[in-house]
Amino acid sequence: MTELARILTYQGIPVWRHTRVIQWAAQILSAIVVVALVAWFFANVANAVQERGISYSFSFLSREYHTPIGDTFVPYEPSDTYLYAFGVAALNTLVVAVAGVILATLLGIFIGVIRLSGNWLVSRLALAYIEFFRNVPLLVQLLFWFFIMLVLPPERDGYVIAGQLYVNNAGVSFPWPTGTGQPIATLIWLILAVVAIIAGFVVSRRLSRREVETGRTSYPVLLGCAAAVAIGALGWLLVNAFAGDAPLAISTPEPQGRFARIDGGFTARAGMIVLLIGLVMYTASFIAEIVRAGIQSVGRGQTEASRALGLSQLNTLRQVTFPQALRVIIPPWISQCLNLTKNSSLGLAIGFTELTSVAQTMTQLAPPIPIFIMLMAAYLAMSLTWSLIGNLYNRRIRFS
Amino acid sequence: MNRYLKYMAGAVLLVIALAAMACQQDAEPPAQSTAPTAAITAPTEPAAMTAEATAMPADSESTSMTNQGDSRLASVMSRGTLICASNDSLAGFGFADASGNITGFDIDLCRAVAAAVLGDADAVEYRPTTASERGPTMQSGEVDIMSRNTTWTSSRNATWGNFAPTMFYDGQGFMVPKNLGVSGMMELGGSSVCVQQGTTTELNLQDFIAQNDLDIEVVVFPDNVATNAAYTSGQCDALTTDRSGLVSTRAGFASPDDHTILAGTISEEPLGPVVPHGDEQWFDLVSAVMSMLIYAEAYGITSSSVPTAVTGDTAIDRLFGLEGSYGQEDMGLSMTAAQDVIRAVGNYGEIYDRHLTPLDLQREGSRNALWANAPCTDCPKGGQVYAAPLR
Amino acid sequence: MATESNPAPPPLSSALPPPRMSVGAAGWIRANLFSTWLSGLLTVTSGAVLVLALWYGLDWVLLDAEWTVVTTLGGQFIIGSYNSEQACPGQNCFWRPQAALLLVTLLLGMGWGVAAGGLAKRIALIAAIAIALLAFLPYSLDKMGLDVRLLLIANLPALLAGWALARYTALGTARWIVILSVAVFLITLVLLRGVPGVPGLQPVLVQNWGGLTLNLVLAVAGIVLSLPIGIALALGRRSNLPVVKSLCVTFIEVFRGVPLITLLFMSQHLLPLAFPQNFPVNPLFRAAVVITLFSAAYMAENIRGGLQALHPGQAEAARALGLPGWQTTLLISLPQAIRNVIPAIVGQFIGLFKDTSLVYIIGMVDIVRVGYRFVSGNTQYLDNAPEVFIFISLVFWVFTYGMSYVSRHIERQLGVGER
Ligand SMILES: N[C@@H](CCC(=O)N[C@@H](CS)C(=O)NCC(=O)O)C(=O)O
Repeated sequence: MTELARILTYQGIPVWRHTRVIQWAAQILSAIVVVALVAWFFANVANAVQERGISYSFSFLSREYHTPIGDTFVPYEPSDTYLYAFGVAALNTLVVAVAGVILATLLGIFIGVIRLSGNWLVSRLALAYIEFFRNVPLLVQLLFWFFIMLVLPPERDGYVIAGQLYVNNAGVSFPWPTGTGQPIATLIWLILAVVAIIAGFVVSRRLSRREVETGRTSYPVLLGCAAAVAIGALGWLLVNAFAGDAPLAISTPEPQGRFARIDGGFTARAGMIVLLIGLVMYTASFIAEIVRAGIQSVGRGQTEASRALGLSQLNTLRQVTFPQALRVIIPPWISQCLNLTKNSSLGLAIGFTELTSVAQTMTQLAPPIPIFIMLMAAYLAMSLTWSLIGNLYNRRIRFS
Repeated sequence: MNRYLKYMAGAVLLVIALAAMACQQDAEPPAQSTAPTAAITAPTEPAAMTAEATAMPADSESTSMTNQGDSRLASVMSRGTLICASNDSLAGFGFADASGNITGFDIDLCRAVAAAVLGDADAVEYRPTTASERGPTMQSGEVDIMSRNTTWTSSRNATWGNFAPTMFYDGQGFMVPKNLGVSGMMELGGSSVCVQQGTTTELNLQDFIAQNDLDIEVVVFPDNVATNAAYTSGQCDALTTDRSGLVSTRAGFASPDDHTILAGTISEEPLGPVVPHGDEQWFDLVSAVMSMLIYAEAYGITSSSVPTAVTGDTAIDRLFGLEGSYGQEDMGLSMTAAQDVIRAVGNYGEIYDRHLTPLDLQREGSRNALWANAPCTDCPKGGQVYAAPLR
Repeated sequence: MATESNPAPPPLSSALPPPRMSVGAAGWIRANLFSTWLSGLLTVTSGAVLVLALWYGLDWVLLDAEWTVVTTLGGQFIIGSYNSEQACPGQNCFWRPQAALLLVTLLLGMGWGVAAGGLAKRIALIAAIAIALLAFLPYSLDKMGLDVRLLLIANLPALLAGWALARYTALGTARWIVILSVAVFLITLVLLRGVPGVPGLQPVLVQNWGGLTLNLVLAVAGIVLSLPIGIALALGRRSNLPVVKSLCVTFIEVFRGVPLITLLFMSQHLLPLAFPQNFPVNPLFRAAVVITLFSAAYMAENIRGGLQALHPGQAEAARALGLPGWQTTLLISLPQAIRNVIPAIVGQFIGLFKDTSLVYIIGMVDIVRVGYRFVSGNTQYLDNAPEVFIFISLVFWVFTYGMSYVSRHIERQLGVGER
């Protein structure tokens, strides 16, 4: 026994008490367990796949899908492939995620700020909003909004606002720019428009720095916008002159045919509207709390000082409180963005054809295993993108 | 220090106990062992016992491809329940009533199979399955049978599982509100149509549009509630699905007369049960149960007139295991399985009358009447309901 | 409540609050509703919106809405098909969940007795009285029998019994409550599941457990299990053992990076392939595991946040005192870290409870599906679907709001965020 104990030593310490040994043993053991478990799973899957003749090949991706997809933001034909259809659905998810994040952030900031307002009624209403929407499952809220949407009149006798905006239970239609005869002209102008926006940003950055440095009022936002509009308008005129045609035209929605279905313009269809309303209302309640905590984390002295310096209430919030609060706000905000992106998968419960919904529909005629692998990969990619943004931000604030 | 260790140990034990509880729920012997068979149907003999006693030896001799331990029949018998992927939200075919019982035309087939195999029509575990979940559900191999208004198609046959004989012959139709004044399917150009995802009807609609070059906006929904609610609120101008589904949906509307089901169909929708690939014995068994239901009606035997002694009519006696055999031994069925089945759920006609006649789904003159020269005297004939003769 | 949610004077108001000019109602109104013209405008518009919303809302709730669908489903919302003829042939099984409820109330009473008033008392009383009041629902006697009503009312004596038990016997300690809670959870499972061969306790298949009970079972199992798993994952992620660390990181990132509904689909459709046929793992169990792991991944990140925020001096001091590494972590770092992130943890618990509603999509008959399948299969109720979802929202809200209320109370008691 003692013989054994003497042999089983490492660096003079019995192995079962040597930290390094124990740690390595634990690692190897856990690795073995995990590998064994995974191997067992795979063996079983392989077995089942063979026994029941289940396909697991990705070759279906080049087959034609031939199934309708409700909402599409890019042209989609039934003769397109599974792969393309998957892409169409992924784009749907992305559009909803981006739009949802923007709207939820705006609403969240608004509610978070009025939650702190000195007005008792308004702050109570904000509190009620937060407590309700945060505490009811998103899925139930979505189902609720789904039925609320159906309360609107049908397309054939829906509301028309100012002859341009059509609101009905099939969706909301509004005028939307479309390209005209010359795609090159449209493209050139779009590039110019981007340039204009960047220029506007640069101008407003410069001016606001000057404002901070010299104390002279320089209207950064106003002048920045003016610069952007000026460049954009100039580009428009130039393109128009050279191409002989405006780069963009406005298409207006209009009821067509016997069923008065609306054609033209852009239609945000019911599924997307319901999903967006649900996601935005839900996520905004979380963002509002994040914003509130962020603002409260900024010392009161800061606000008082800037007020004493003569900054207006709004400017205090915009230039003193908010920039400081952002450090506290951004990390949890990123995780809300991530949540919203993932939650968009609940669109499948209310008929918005996002990624999960389309992937599930595909399993009717295509093998589920590869489809689920692609689905997981797509969501992981989106989530990792958000994490990346968060990490970049964290690094930046750590170094500055 | 010691105290913390104790707490830790307690927590670990708790975890293990919970896991054990959760597992045990399934591993535990089946409910039916003590549960008296439902009041609805009271078999005169301890059916489960006979089924087990006769089926077990039969099974071990069986020439099926899969070995004894893996056979689905053995799994079902050792589990004591039949796992049935079903619909829980389509009136008439499979739905939950106000106290939570799942009933319907398709449900009764699962009950019949359970009665045949386990001697207890109530020993069924229903797995509510939405349309687009059906493929993965069948391929997971977890369910023993799916009976859920599912269309038999060749690609489904190739990937999902084997389709037993068709239980209901259907075709896809359109329903529109009367006030739209639409009189035929070809007038639907320019309209929007609601359809459910993951169904053949979704695919057929696409074909219909392409074929006839109609400008139809397709609006897809994940399930029955959403599809129907969207239709009734006018979000789409028309609703399309199996005609039986249309009739069933319309039957519940406050004013069914405000909706027309347009004449004609755009597809064939033979609806029948599916069993997983990989076990032919099980497939044969389910097919035989379908034959029992159909031939019981053809021979004029109802749930109240199931013979327990030789009648002298060879076909009837063979069906009910009183004389000869139709292959029970090879399928692993008890000789008298049909007695349990018909006593518990009735014949095809009774099942139809119980669930579909109240919905105004006319059987007389439809494709779901028995084949033209079926031997019965006062049963609807001239249709397509037919299955392998039991002999 | 009122004092708590009147936080420090808001930054939006004028720089320094002027001394109060007037007191009383008028003064309060001036100060809180009409301090500036902007504030006044806000008050008027939001007040108008509120009044209109209330007016139309109440009009709909009281006059237009058709609540019979909710009352028809009644007990199904609580327990699904459990008491149906199919699940429990020839008997009344409703007393079993009710008996389990009595035990829970008993525990609540004990909690009140041990805590001697305060929050525990409030919760216990509100819960028991609310449950007992259910006995007076205006159902006819053959829809809701006397036995059901009496068992509901019995929750009041059960509460008092629990209180007395805690007060006058040796059972009145926190440890006993923990032990008894576990016991009650197990007894509940046995009661619901039944015991073969015992008359009156005939087995009921797990697939028939439904309604709110299913959500609660999933949530309780998830809450109890996701915390320890999350702690283990968080520690693993911070460990300096490369294998353990990378395993934990992978696990956490994968489970956090994918929507729960996708994971649930996989648990139902693909996971069965990974087990031998007829392996005894039922769908409910698989769903519970997935929900728990999903929540545990989030929990791990919360706890890791707490650990990261901890001053390294804490651990160093412990090491200096000679505590071995694992004891330092378990006894020094972890408790402090957890204490600091209690709000996040409770938030995650609430999230988990809300997430249990997702199981309806994979065909489990939770409270949402109870309503959903009924309006679907009985199209005469299709128009009343909003009523169903409003009712379900309220049920969820009561529970989640209760949880966040308790969390805020604990936070205040522990003084979280005050150091
Ligand atoms: N027979 C068609 C359609 C079957 C189908 O899913 N029908 C719908 C409406 S008739 C249904 O049962 N929906 C119920 C649900 O998914 O909740 C098929 O096999 O694809």
